[in-house]
Formats: sequence, structure tokens, C-alpha cells
Amino acid sequence: MIFPYLETAIKNLTKKPLTEAFPCPEDMGAERYRGRISYDPEVCVDCGMCAKVCGPSAITREEEEAEGGVNITRTFDLTSCTFCGFCQDFCSRNAITLTRDYHMVAEDASELCTKGTFFKKKVLGKLICYLDNCLFCGLCMRNCPEKAITVDRAARTWSVDHSKCVKCGLCISKCPKNVLEFQQQSEEGVIFSDSCIYCTLCAKKCPVGAITVDRQNKTWDIDRSSCMRCGVCVAGCPKKALSMGPLE
Amino acid sequence: MFDKLINKSAMKSPWIFHINAGSCNGCDIEIVAVMTTLYDAERFGFKIVGSPRHADIVVVSGPVTLQSRDRLIRTLAQVPEPKCVVSVGSCPQSGNVFKGSYALDGPLEKYVHVDVAVAGCAAKPEAIMEGLYKAAQILEEKRRKIRVAAGRKLSAEAVPEADTASDIGTDIKDTDVKDTEEKDNEGKEAADV
Repeated sequence: MIFPYLETAIKNLTKKPLTEAFPCPEDMGAERYRGRISYDPEVCVDCGMCAKVCGPSAITREEEEAEGGVNITRTFDLTSCTFCGFCQDFCSRNAITLTRDYHMVAEDASELCTKGTFFKKKVLGKLICYLDNCLFCGLCMRNCPEKAITVDRAARTWSVDHSKCVKCGLCISKCPKNVLEFQQQSEEGVIFSDSCIYCTLCAKKCPVGAITVDRQNKTWDIDRSSCMRCGVCVAGCPKKALSMGPLE
Repeated sequence: MFDKLINKSAMKSPWIFHINAGSCNGCDIEIVAVMTTLYDAERFGFKIVGSPRHADIVVVSGPVTLQSRDRLIRTLAQVPEPKCVVSVGSCPQSGNVFKGSYALDGPLEKYVHVDVAVAGCAAKPEAIMEGLYKAAQILEEKRRKIRVAAGRKLSAEAVPEADTASDIGTDIKDTDVKDTEEKDNEGKEAADV
């Protein structure tokens, strides 16, 4: 008589069962398993790419006014998440990681979410005056505690010494024509260099469409007010022609 | 006399009925995989039964589609109390990628109180096992409350009717019939287009 699996049967008598113990001794999934999302709010630049690429719209953003800026809270709803990993791939600052943690069991479904809050300072740019409407009355000069503004009524000139200006905002509150304001610009931005080959990749990658590249005329332009300093263009440039650094 | 034996046996054999409310079958495969020998939920007494009337724990996967909604409600009503509802995957919780679709009708929470939620897409069998374990514990707690309430009744203490109902806990929610009819018509219009 032939017993086809006799050898295997006898060998398996001496082996341990393959059944996984419960609770599972391996606390994590396999290598590169996409499990619970972990978010580092300190590195986040609020570019919003993750929310844009999220299929089930599991990523939401909330703003809360605070002194000197806003508190931004980003919530990753794990009960909506499909764990595709797109947010991790598209995050320009690697603030999002899909960990190997698969233990996502809760009696209360609101526990199944990852939240992170960070503070975004409202950076005030330089003081500027819209000279077309300015009366050159000199009220701003008289109210400035640092004597940073100089106004000449006869010569119709207005100038400010940026090194003395402390950005208190008194001049803006006293101006009768509302021609004074702080430029909404932070000091860092995208710097262009000559090694650009005008391939237009940066313009395509920009999540807000701030970059315009003209291939024929070989021009590169950026809208500084809509640029979010996310760094996707810098990372994606094949010639390393762009860099993030201080402007002017 | 046999009470202690019955209670112990019930605790050690929570039977499962699985409902697919329009799932893509990813979670369904993992649920069935939990019963196989590698993850082996059967060693704890879990068993997938063929009739909802035999079940203690109801495992639901899938976003609740229009087609499956009425069948889901009817099946859930057939499961006797005390029962535990486990939602597997992110679909019953929110609809996942199908959120806002014309073919969906709400999260599972709209129809029945979900006791345990297992997240994932698809949920890992180990996580489902943890969810089932938690469900079995919740079920035991519900049974204990019923026993206590029954014991109080027997000992002729004044127990108002409302008390026992809240002790038992889950019940099928009254879904507004008008709402469901409207959603039906919406679905038909969309299909015509």
C-alpha cells in the first residue's frame, strides 16, 4: 500500500502548531505595512496636499484664532481612511507616516482618529504706504514711538526706516486714509537660479498654481502671496535650480 | 439548577452571524480567514452560523447600500437579544471612498448601535479577532445585567419596566419611513439619468 503523505504526517507530529497565539505576540504588521496614521504637526507647513489627494476625504483642517496667529488642527479620520498611503507619499515635509500598528479597535468610534495641532504665526511683513492716496499729513510720523517714519509735506515724500520699525501698528490705526499696511509676506520663499531648464515641472507640481513658466520665452515667475512655502517645487526640480531661503 | 452550566456555556460559545451590507468582500475574506486555523477564532468558541436566529454577535461589513438596507434591517431584527454588533472595516462607519454616493444610505450607526468598531481597509484578521474578543466581553456584560434584573424581579423588589429595557441596551432604531422612501426615489431618478 502507498501512503502518499506519510512522511509529512509523521514530521508534523513533532512540529508546533502554526496557529498564531492570541493576543498576537507580534504587535505590529509586516515591514512596510500601512497601518495607523501618525502625524507630526511641528513639521507640517499646512500646504494641504494630503487633503487634496485623500480619496475618502478623511483629512480635515480646523482653524482657531490665537494670539499672534492661528492654531491649526489637522484630523485624520481612521474610520474613513482606506490606508492607501497617498498622504504619506505626497507630504512634502514627511509629516505623515503610516505606522505598522494595526490595533484599531474601539467601542467608541470617535477614538479612531489621529489629530495634531500646530501654531502658525502671523508674520508681518514690511510697512508700506500706498503713495497715490497718501495725504502726507504726517500723523503716522507724529504717532510713531520709534520715530521710524519720515514725512515731508511740502516735498510729498514718505519713507520708513525698517530697522527702527517694531511693527506696533499705531501708524496704521492713526492714518485717516488707510494707506498704510504690513505686507503679508514671510521672510522665507522660493529662490530661483540660472540652472533652470524651463521644463515646467515645478509649475505642474505646485499645489496652489503659484508658479508660471514660459518655455518659449524662457521666463519663470512666482506669485509670492499664494506661495505656501511647502517645498514641493524645490524637491521636484530635476536640476536643483530652486531652493528655499530668505528673500531680498 | 442548570443555570450556572448554561451561563458558562453561553459565555464560552458566542456564535457569529455575518452580514454583507454591500461590501467589496475585502473585509469578508478577512472575517472568514479569522475562522481558519492560522488565526483560529474557533478555539474561543466563535462559530459562523447560517441563521441569524442562532447568533449572539452580528458582524457587519460594507457601507449600507440601498439594495441591502431593507435586508439588513430585517436580518438585524431577527437576531435575538442580547446581541452585539461589530462593524468591520471603515465602510460601515463612514462609507469610506463611497461617501456621498447615490447608492448608499447612511452609516451603520443609523440603524443599530454599534458596540465595537474595527477600523481598517481591509481590517487585519488579528484586529478582527480583538474586536470579536471585545464583543464577547460586552455580550457577557449584557447577559449579566439581564440575570441581575431577572433576579431582582424574582425576589419581588419593585423594578419599574423601564429599568430592564435600559439594562438590555441595544435595539433597532426607528428609521423614518418617509426618509427612506425619499432616498429610494432619489436612487431611481439617478438610475434613470
